[in-house]
Amino acid sequence: MMIPVRCFTCGNVIGEHWEEFKARAREGDEDPGEVLDDLGVDRHCCRRMMVSHRDLVDVVSPYQ
Amino acid sequence: MSDADFDVQYIERDDRSARVLIRGLTPAFANGIRRAMIADVPTFSIDTVRFVENSSVMFDEMIGLRLGLVPLTTPLDEFEVGDEVTLALDVEGPATAYSGDIETSEPMVEPADDNVPIIELKEGQRIELEADAVLDTGKEHAKHQGGVSVGYRHLQHVTVDGDRGEFDEDETNVLRGVIETEDGDIVPTAAFDHDLSEKYPGKELTVEDVPGAFVFHIETDGSLSVEELLLRAIDTIEERADELHTKVSV
Amino acid sequence: MSYKCSRCKRDVTLDEYGGVRCPYCGHRVLLKERGGDVKEVDVN
Repeated sequence: MMIPVRCFTCGNVIGEHWEEFKARAREGDEDPGEVLDDLGVDRHCCRRMMVSHRDLVDVVSPYQ
Repeated sequence: MSDADFDVQYIERDDRSARVLIRGLTPAFANGIRRAMIADVPTFSIDTVRFVENSSVMFDEMIGLRLGLVPLTTPLDEFEVGDEVTLALDVEGPATAYSGDIETSEPMVEPADDNVPIIELKEGQRIELEADAVLDTGKEHAKHQGGVSVGYRHLQHVTVDGDRGEFDEDETNVLRGVIETEDGDIVPTAAFDHDLSEKYPGKELTVEDVPGAFVFHIETDGSLSVEELLLRAIDTIEERADELHTKVSV
Repeated sequence: MSYKCSRCKRDVTLDEYGGVRCPYCGHRVLLKERGGDVKEVDVN
């Protein structure tokens, strides 16, 4: 639904990087790995949080 | 009093992450410090939320959980475990409510990061709530942990034994952590791509742990600085030792 | 008890005899409205 605030595994705060990651790697054409390096999301547990996330607010909001 | 001869050296140092070399520790004491940093240093975290209005797509409990995970700055000199601070959030859609929108009654306790999305609100949706943050330890709940991925490795000493045979295969020699060279230089393995054969091509090497020397990797969630976290962890060990001391002496 | 009809979005009050049905449009799906009380949630 919304990007989790913290990484499930290590507890690092990752939510703050989502919007930039989304703009640059999902909607933009940059390499996701490079964007994550750039954002300082180094560990693979934190990286999977971003890579495997989908925003669902737009999907569920019509059903109020 | 003690014959411990400690020596502390920062290898990397940032506000929120650092690598610290500490010499003169026993493995038991090093682990005690690590555990204290994770479980015994208290930080503020939202614990009770009163929802006045929530017409967003997420349930009150889901938003409460997200709020609890937002790190809050914690000036430990000013507060004691159990103290509470009131915060409030009021956002009307269309907008996204961010951690930075959380207003605080105590300017010393505020969200450490301003850009964490809490909930996206569509036209006509609104969230209004009041929350109590409480100071507690990581033992009570993981949201109160100040340290993130705190750990340590032995410092490794690398000795050059001589040249490798001329026709020997050049093998990679992967090592992670921090090494100490024969000259006494402290080098993080990232400097040579974690491969000793990059730093010492064609050399025969011996790698061994340096007794009593530990390299701590410390990261915080922003509620405390690295130095504060380390100092407070040591304080909690001291407090517990003092308590035991008084209990034994009576 | 206040409900809202999911088709015509009008407020509906249920009585003992009417059954579960919107008196305005006859739709049988009613949504329960959130109460006006402040709700306290323990975060854990």
